[in-house]
Amino acid sequence: MDPEEDWLVESLRLYEDFYAFDLSGATRVLEWIDDKGVFVAGYESLKKNEILHLKLPLRLSVKENKGLFPERDFKVRHGGFSDRSIFDLKHVPHTRLLVTSGLPGCYLQVWQVAEDSDVIKAVSTIGVHEKEESLWPRVAVFTSMAPRVLHGARLRSLQVVDLESRKTTYTSDVSDSEELSSLQVLDADTFAFCCASGQLGLVDTRQKWAPLENRSPGPGSGGERWCAEVGSRGQGPGPSIASLGSDGRLCLLDPRDLCHPVSSVQCPVSIPSPDPELLRVTWAPSLKNCLAISGFDGTVQVYDATSWNGTQSQVEPLFTHRGHVFLDGNGMDPAPLVTTHTWHPCRPRTLLSATNDASLHVWDWVDLCAPC
Amino acid sequence: MPEIRVTPLGAGQDVGRSCILVSIAGKNVMLDCGMHMGFNDDRRFPDFSYITQNGRLTDFLDCVIISHFHLDHCGALPYFSEMVGYDGPIYMTHPTQAICPILLEDYRKIAVDKKGEANFFTSQMIKDCMKKVVAVHLHQTVQVDDELEIKAYYAGHVLGAAMFQIKVGSESVVYTGDYNMTPDRHLGAAWIDKCRPNLLITESTYATTIRDSKRCRERDFLKKVHETVERGGKVLIPVFALGRAQELCILLETFWERMNLKVPIYFSTGLTEKANHYYKLFIPWTNQKIRKTFVQRNMFEFKHIKAFDRAFADNPGPMVVFATPGMLHAGQSLQIFRKWAGNEKNMVIMPGYCVQGTVGHKILSGQRKLEMEGRQVLEVKMQVEYMSFSAHADAKGIMQLVGQAEPESVLLVHGEAKKMEFLKQKIEQELRRQPGGRRGAHLGSMEATWAEAFSSWGPGVSCYMPANGETVTLPTSPSIPVGISLGLLKREMAQGLLPEAKKPRLLHGTLIMKDSNFRLVSSEQALKELGLAEHQLRFTCRVHLHDTRKEQEMALRVYSHLKSVLKDHCVQHLPDGSVTVESILIQAAAPSEDPGTKVLLVSWTYQDEELGSFLTSLLKKGLPQAPS
Repeated sequence: MDPEEDWLVESLRLYEDFYAFDLSGATRVLEWIDDKGVFVAGYESLKKNEILHLKLPLRLSVKENKGLFPERDFKVRHGGFSDRSIFDLKHVPHTRLLVTSGLPGCYLQVWQVAEDSDVIKAVSTIGVHEKEESLWPRVAVFTSMAPRVLHGARLRSLQVVDLESRKTTYTSDVSDSEELSSLQVLDADTFAFCCASGQLGLVDTRQKWAPLENRSPGPGSGGERWCAEVGSRGQGPGPSIASLGSDGRLCLLDPRDLCHPVSSVQCPVSIPSPDPELLRVTWAPSLKNCLAISGFDGTVQVYDATSWNGTQSQVEPLFTHRGHVFLDGNGMDPAPLVTTHTWHPCRPRTLLSATNDASLHVWDWVDLCAPC
Repeated sequence: MPEIRVTPLGAGQDVGRSCILVSIAGKNVMLDCGMHMGFNDDRRFPDFSYITQNGRLTDFLDCVIISHFHLDHCGALPYFSEMVGYDGPIYMTHPTQAICPILLEDYRKIAVDKKGEANFFTSQMIKDCMKKVVAVHLHQTVQVDDELEIKAYYAGHVLGAAMFQIKVGSESVVYTGDYNMTPDRHLGAAWIDKCRPNLLITESTYATTIRDSKRCRERDFLKKVHETVERGGKVLIPVFALGRAQELCILLETFWERMNLKVPIYFSTGLTEKANHYYKLFIPWTNQKIRKTFVQRNMFEFKHIKAFDRAFADNPGPMVVFATPGMLHAGQSLQIFRKWAGNEKNMVIMPGYCVQGTVGHKILSGQRKLEMEGRQVLEVKMQVEYMSFSAHADAKGIMQLVGQAEPESVLLVHGEAKKMEFLKQKIEQELRRQPGGRRGAHLGSMEATWAEAFSSWGPGVSCYMPANGETVTLPTSPSIPVGISLGLLKREMAQGLLPEAKKPRLLHGTLIMKDSNFRLVSSEQALKELGLAEHQLRFTCRVHLHDTRKEQEMALRVYSHLKSVLKDHCVQHLPDGSVTVESILIQAAAPSEDPGTKVLLVSWTYQDEELGSFLTSLLKKGLPQAPS
């Protein structure tokens, strides 16, 4: 019996739709541009990496008469080359610009996606004050009439820079050397940060640096690494911040009280995570209280946090995507590791996931627990 | 400079109507002769007027090569050979030769019988066209004539599909046709050796895609079939006799076995025998797995798939039926379709492209009400699914092939150059990554120098994207190996100057071309080999001088003068009165008319031309006054 065949047969029941692609290079980036395209970028060192703008297969984008569209392939709409590894990529909404961050060299690269050809060209750089060999600044973009780029590798080097004038419009102005693991823009004036130690904060840029944060050393006192994501306002009542640790702990917090998590669960994952920098937790844009986590192995797990309360020892995922293990890994050594995942902005149960062996899956899972 | 010229024929940028003209070292080859399936008029044929305005195609073209049996690669062949007029050889692989006429006939029937077209090729024309076919085996070098040779390579994609290498002397072009770099259930992956052609010609259509895996497409097919039969519906799958049908049958059989399903699967009568026959003939063309299976059992004796009977279509309950023809334009598949179309529980799965005018094409365009014979209107309530199983190489696949063949340049057809700058850069990067090709003439130790010289002339562009009708001219640097005789090399070395890798060095010799051999030897050796006597050229010049002395005295004075001036040369005064400088002879003579004028006869050989000219001018200036 072929485990790959077995899994494919199982998958008939588990997924509405399932697509598997082989990129020419592994990506750690999956950034949406409208709801029809994504950007991916390579992160290998000592090699020319590609940044690609991929248009989703027609079968995934059309709303009606899906059956009449046989196209199941990604179309490379634009491409560009980067000499550096790219660890983060953000699209500047309403423009044709991209901002990337990577190594070596501590600076941000700004790219332009051409209109009349398929080229993504490097156009300028944004300097960064912290010059550290191994740390790369996290990036987020404020959308407005004049887009601003939020970046920083450590708390003390957090800055907001106006993209056009390159003037610094905001700085953290602290001496805290805490390493940042994620930055997220929430609206025109506020952003959230998460430090590798687990320290979380919400910042209003209209005021001098005075974040709402959990000052305590945080749950990460055992040397774990943390990341976090804030859900959108349309989440409904309940906690909207999720924080994931490399020891498999997932905490849900309410922005009004960052010091006391609403719930804290232990996810059934293989620990320690082989590369805690790859940890990722995301909120589903269209499903209430649903989260996805990845970065521990070759799987992506989806959880329903509706009934979570207080501290729970064990929870079970609503769904686990094992495609990367069976289709690409297939018993080969070393097993693949998911580098990133993202939810489709409109289709409720569709996700994209990528691994370190250059595979990219698009999957639409079936909610087996839902009433028929 | 010798060059290779490539012109994709026809207008429009869409896929379909593959037809490429290649001129290589004076030979003209036409690659594929496809039909554009989207048009009903002359636009569906390639524009053959590009080939030659006057003069017969047979005289102009050395051969035609067809890569595989898909109509967008061979659909215009009978029109081209019988209606436009071509009597030369048409090369293709054996499976292509066997399957082409079947598809052409099917297509002809649809065009003429269904659509009532007038100016279309006839069945006889298809037969006459196929008589001009010369079938080839994989990896067999075929001599088209003294200079032109071709070789087919496995391309995957469909049964019998091949990539072709076209070679004249040291120049070659590889045309990929349609190919696939990942093996599937019944075909292997394309493969080519490191043949290093000057040019690789391939499709650009799929170069900008990233293909969904075959497994996922198959999964989608199984899911649709399974869901339909689970709810009690019937599934109709219209297929051609060969190709897709067998693949899908194997897939369903495996699935049915694993899931222990009891729903009947039927296969149109006649399909099994034909398919069996063809697949047996072409075992070397299928992949390892199939070959092994054939050995174990007859692959078309399925446990769960039975022969279909017309009456079964009316049976209640779920079932799956594979029926011909593939585009629902006539026959059994259309009959079944009419019976099942009204029930929304049922499904029809179209596994391929349908030509305009067929029912298949109409329903794939979204039409839900069809006008049938006798003005009857058929309402289509059944689900319509369009699936694509064709295996094409995508961006990654093209890079893999470029890496295997190591061409100097790549040419992409059917693409819009302006929109493909990134792809062009990507390919050029891959080309540059490869070890330097054979550029320039090999001349022993001078190879490095020549290579450098050529590369500085070389074209900046290595990836071409011509529009249809546009000719790309590729300068080539054919390598002509010339052997230098050891004696000649030794003589050069004896001159004392050491060879320098970066500096070109001028070498004189005689080039002997015998059979296809080139040798550079010294003149003496050449003369010896050819049994020729060497001619000596001697020049003589008369220098008139005003001098009243006697000849002997003059000669002496000439000698002393030259001795003092030409200190580096051997100047001698011979007993007979003449003076020699190296091999140059100077004699004094007195013309009888004027005792005041003396004549110096200066004579030298061709080899001493320079010195001879110098002496002559020197002597013309006159002799210095003698000391008294």
